[in-house]
Amino acid sequence: MDRIIQQLPRFFSPGNISLLLDAAGTTLALTFIGCVSGFLLAFLIVFLRQTPGIWALPLRLLGIAYVEIFRRIPFLVVTYLVLFFIQTFQSDASLFTIAVVAICIYATAYTAEIIRGGFESVARQQIEAATAMNFTRWQTLSGVIIPQSWPVILPPAVAFAVGFVKDTALVSQVGVFELTFRGKELNNGGFSGILVFGTIALIYFGISYPLSRFGRWLESRLASSRSEKPRKRLRTA
Amino acid sequence: MNYTFQFGVALAQLPELLKGAIVTFELGLLTFGGGALIGLLGAALKTFGGPVLRGIANAYVIFFTNTPGLIQIYFLYFGLPEFGIRWDNFTCVLLGLTLNAGGYLTEIMRAGFISVHKTEMEAAETIGMSLLQQIRFIIVPHIAKTIYPALANFFIVVLVMGTSIGAVVGVDELTGTAINISTENYRWIEMFVVVAGIYVVVTFIASLSLALFGRWAFRIKAKVF
Repeated sequence: MDRIIQQLPRFFSPGNISLLLDAAGTTLALTFIGCVSGFLLAFLIVFLRQTPGIWALPLRLLGIAYVEIFRRIPFLVVTYLVLFFIQTFQSDASLFTIAVVAICIYATAYTAEIIRGGFESVARQQIEAATAMNFTRWQTLSGVIIPQSWPVILPPAVAFAVGFVKDTALVSQVGVFELTFRGKELNNGGFSGILVFGTIALIYFGISYPLSRFGRWLESRLASSRSEKPRKRLRTA
Repeated sequence: MNYTFQFGVALAQLPELLKGAIVTFELGLLTFGGGALIGLLGAALKTFGGPVLRGIANAYVIFFTNTPGLIQIYFLYFGLPEFGIRWDNFTCVLLGLTLNAGGYLTEIMRAGFISVHKTEMEAAETIGMSLLQQIRFIIVPHIAKTIYPALANFFIVVLVMGTSIGAVVGVDELTGTAINISTENYRWIEMFVVVAGIYVVVTFIASLSLALFGRWAFRIKAKVF
């Protein structure tokens, strides 16, 4: 305990604080870039998975296989796989890129399920109506499915991304300079583990808690806008 | 692009890896069991406790679900020895993961607690059900229907995301074993492809049996895919 108090002024030196803030920025950047690109790719996966017709069976199987496989592999294993695959073929790739690719692969698999759930929440008759009016697949998607399903998709997708801020701690294993990595570095440099990891935990908390509150707010807002519609319809009928 | 894959080397290590897979499964079961007990307590406190107890349960959930499990384990593993508390890595990982899972399971269990309405219990009393019958026909079906799919899903999350964190502090579970072997034979890609395959098979068996059990015991149409 005395050791911790002794180390306090040295630990919270301007150099260390800017180091940790920088690392927190890296953590956020990893999560943001990885999850947003994963979200976009997930649309593609769902699009593949819902292609109709017998000739598209391999495409559908590909979509299903991707989601089912990557949802069942630990993030740490995905990170190692990406690291060694990329380094074997492109030895000068930066660790940040490798981490982003790993996060993207993982986020794609998870958000694809979220997006599929959202798409399936749209009533079947509407899609049939769109087909009857000779809408193309893209028109159906952009004009009928997405406008109705994004309130269902967005809250869990945001929740996933917010939850992933914490899981990025694992990429410290491959040596990306993010929060957990810097924490271990400071700990190895002689600072007390309680002090270092307590501080790191608080920084994660400071990032994750406001974001999760934002996610919950978004959910309640979108949920209320959705549940109002049936009531209005009842009144007119 | 002149890398030759040698999966034979990795497959030769299959017995070692399966030993690791057993440790992974043990760690997952223990974590989930311990977390479920904490979750039950936390949910009971949140639903029936006074303001102080509820506050404690809330603070616990908010803190543990908003910080990474890895940092919690580091705290136990690198922090606590300063106070003379020295546990081995398996204990630290188990304790850290259990505390972490307990936070999430509290929230899941609470949803189950809320799903039983007071009026239904009163109706059961009116038609003369005994306490056992009430538990059998009203409380358990309600709670099971609400939380079983979430619990089954969370078990897979613990089994996959959770236990592999143990590798970071050197627990010889599946990922840890793979890291150990790969540092000796340098067949990282092949080893991790094989390990990924084992994870897929193990979790698929786990979620299939959970879905079948849910269908048999609670008539829940849980999805396997």
